[in-house]
Amino acid sequence: MRTRSVIVTAAIVTASIVWIGTVGAAYRAIRRFETTPGRAAVAPRNWPADSTLVRNQGAPTLVMLVHPQCSCTRASLAELQAVIENSPRSLRTYVVVYRPSQAKPGWEQTDVYTAAMRLRGARVIVDEEGREAKRFGTFTSGQTFLYDAQGALRFEGGITMLRGHAGLNSGRVDVIRIANGESGKGSHPVFGCSIVARSERR
Amino acid sequence: MSEFAVSDPKTAERAAELEKEQSYIRRAKVDRMFAFLLIVQWIACIIAAIVISPYAWEGKERVLHMHVWVAILGGAGITILPVMLAFLRPGTKLTRHVIAASQMLFSALLIHLTGGRIETHFHVFGSLAFLAFYLDWQVIVTATVVVAADHFLRGIFWPESVYGVSNPEWWRFLEHAGWVAFEDVFLIWSCIFGQREMANAAARQAAIEHLSEQEQLKTAALEMAMAEMGVTTAPG
Repeated sequence: MRTRSVIVTAAIVTASIVWIGTVGAAYRAIRRFETTPGRAAVAPRNWPADSTLVRNQGAPTLVMLVHPQCSCTRASLAELQAVIENSPRSLRTYVVVYRPSQAKPGWEQTDVYTAAMRLRGARVIVDEEGREAKRFGTFTSGQTFLYDAQGALRFEGGITMLRGHAGLNSGRVDVIRIANGESGKGSHPVFGCSIVARSERR
Repeated sequence: MSEFAVSDPKTAERAAELEKEQSYIRRAKVDRMFAFLLIVQWIACIIAAIVISPYAWEGKERVLHMHVWVAILGGAGITILPVMLAFLRPGTKLTRHVIAASQMLFSALLIHLTGGRIETHFHVFGSLAFLAFYLDWQVIVTATVVVAADHFLRGIFWPESVYGVSNPEWWRFLEHAGWVAFEDVFLIWSCIFGQREMANAAARQAAIEHLSEQEQLKTAALEMAMAEMGVTTAPG
C-alpha cells in the first residue's frame, strides 16, 4: 500500500514537472515562430524591366508574392483586402502565386489561391518556377511591393503584424498611406514560408 | 454554511459529514468529466492544427508545421497532469485547481492554433461556466488568474499576439480580464449559492435520519414495554 502511494506521488511530481516545462517551452516555441520574420527581399529600386507584369501607368502598382500552400499567407491576403478597400480604385494589384517545376496539376489551387481570386480587382498570376519572385528578389510569402506611378519602389515588406496573425499593423498603414498619395517610403518585416527553396535558387 | 437550523450537535456533525461526502462525489465526477474533456480538446487541437496549418513550406519542400508539433507535444504536456490527478486524486482541491489552470491553458493554445481568431476566445467563457460545476468559487479565481497572467505577460513581451497592436496601454490586460471578471461575479455567486443548497440538503437529510432514529427508538421502547405487560400487537 505504501509502495503504491510512493509510486503515485512520484508520478504526480513527474507530471507536474512535465506540465510546467511544457507550458514554458510551448510559449517560447510559439513566440519564436510567430515573431521571427522571413528573409527580406532584395527588391529592385525601380520596376524590373524583365517582369511580365504590366505596371500601372499614372497610378501605383501593388505586387504581393505568395506561396499557395503557406497557411500563414491567409493573414497576408486578409490584410491585402483591407489595403484594397482603403486605397483608390486606380491602384493596380497583382497577387503572384508561386508554382514549382514538375508540380502536379492544380497544386496551386488552394484556399490561398481562392482567397486571392476573391480580392476586388486583383489580378492573380501563376508564377511558374518562381520566375517573377526571382525578378522581384523575393524570398518570403506575403512579400509586398508598392511602386508609384513613375515605377519607383515606395514600400517593401510584409503587411501582417506577426506570422499568420491579421490585424492593424504599420505595414498595412504605410501601404494605404502611400497608395493614397502621401509622400515617403515604408518597410515592414515579412512573415511567411519561403517561396523558393534554396536548391531552386542555384 | 447551512440555512437549515440544526440544534442537535450530533445531527450537525452528521450534516457536515453528509455535505462533505456529497461534495466529494460531485467533485470527483466533475474531475472525470474534465479528464475526458481535456483528452477530447487535445485531439481537437491536433486535428485543428493538421487542418489549418499542416505544413510549413520552403519552395516545393515541406516540413510538418510547428503548430502540429505544439498541438501534439504541448497538448500532451498540458493534459497529462490534470488527467492523472483526476484518476489518482479525485475530488481534492489540488486536482480541481490544476484542472482549472490546464483548461485555461488549452484556451490559450486553441487561440494560437487558430491564428488569434476572436471566436476562439469564447472557449475561455465556456470553460469558466464548466468550472462552476465544482461549486467551488476559488476554482473560478484560479482560472481567472491564469487568463489574466497569460494576457499580462504576453502584453509585456508579445503584445501583438493578444491585443492586435504592438504598443497597447499597460492597463489593457485589465480590460480583457474585466470581461472575464464580469462572468466571474455570477459564477462565483452561483457556486456559493449551490454549495449552500447542498449544505441545506445535507442538514435536512441529517435531521430526517435523526427523527427516523428517534422514531425507531420509541417504537422499540414501546414494543419492549408492551412485551413486559404481556400485550402482543395484532398483525395488520
